[in-house]
Amino acid sequence: MVLLGKVALGIAGTALAGVGLICSEGMIEVKVVEKQPEVHHVYVLAPAMLVPITMHFIPSKKLGRAASEIQPWMPTIRAALEQLRAGEDVTLVEVREPGQHVLVSKEGGSVVVDVTDTEETVHVSAPIRAIESTVDQVAAASPETQD
Amino acid sequence: MRTGIRVMGVCCALALTMGNLAVAAMAVPAPAERYLHVKVDDATKGESVNVNVPLSMATAILPTINKGNLHNGHVTIGEADFNGVDVRGILEAIRNAPDNEFVTVKEKDQDVRVAKLNGNLIVHVLDKRQDKDGQKVDVTVPMKVVDALFATTKDNELDVAAAIRALSDAGDAVLVTVQDATEHVRIWIDSHSSSE
Repeated sequence: MVLLGKVALGIAGTALAGVGLICSEGMIEVKVVEKQPEVHHVYVLAPAMLVPITMHFIPSKKLGRAASEIQPWMPTIRAALEQLRAGEDVTLVEVREPGQHVLVSKEGGSVVVDVTDTEETVHVSAPIRAIESTVDQVAAASPETQD
Repeated sequence: MRTGIRVMGVCCALALTMGNLAVAAMAVPAPAERYLHVKVDDATKGESVNVNVPLSMATAILPTINKGNLHNGHVTIGEADFNGVDVRGILEAIRNAPDNEFVTVKEKDQDVRVAKLNGNLIVHVLDKRQDKDGQKVDVTVPMKVVDALFATTKDNELDVAAAIRALSDAGDAVLVTVQDATEHVRIWIDSHSSSE
């Protein structure tokens, strides 16, 4: 009985540690509300760490073009993300037009994009660390293997 | 035994002192982040665009961009763009001169005024052409920023990165305003992370 309890505790502890590890880079949140013609709600909340893990399963040749385009800009992207991560929360860009509002901001450790127009509302939040890891992986793909 | 207790006591006191010093060092507030704001309002269309860039980010990014005329935070300008004018010489003269209005041009289509006031280089342009809707442009640049811009050793280069660093040290200021019949553009720096 005691042995069973220890095994159960071990499994629970491992599962908890696994969940903690997977969620350690934060969560990616996507919320879409379509207002017309019918109201539809889409809500996705996924551990950010899954994105770089998923990137491993994308064939390198599929990323070739993106890699060759992004590589020259990697120092700039890295510098920007590093500064963004270290800096205070800020509204980076806000655009208002009749019927449309776009907001790009840094909140906590995430980049948040909110788009509101007459037909739909979109909210995307992605942790900066996950963006860094993903961009690094795209850049690391061999450009010469492109189609 | 007593010596051991004394040594331990001294160690504890030292540790406490170091801890207090560390806490005090951490308590020193970091310099406030400065932001470059750009706001464009079009009242007739009901549109507005706000861009807020932390100056530390701009300072970090600029040297990494190597494209076109921009390399390592320096912009290369062709000799033709200076039209043979000794810009550095002119700036040196302006820097050493007292506050004054240096250039006043009044034409049928355009008024231009260049002055130095309270350590700032000020340029006012009023475009009276019909298609420009009486566009007014006001540029106020701290002389420190102008100096940093021309601080490179090469004559045909502007050090934009140094100018941004100089802006970080400057006080809150409105750098550029452009106003015409429909649009209003404003560029300024301050310590607020939003344009409001």
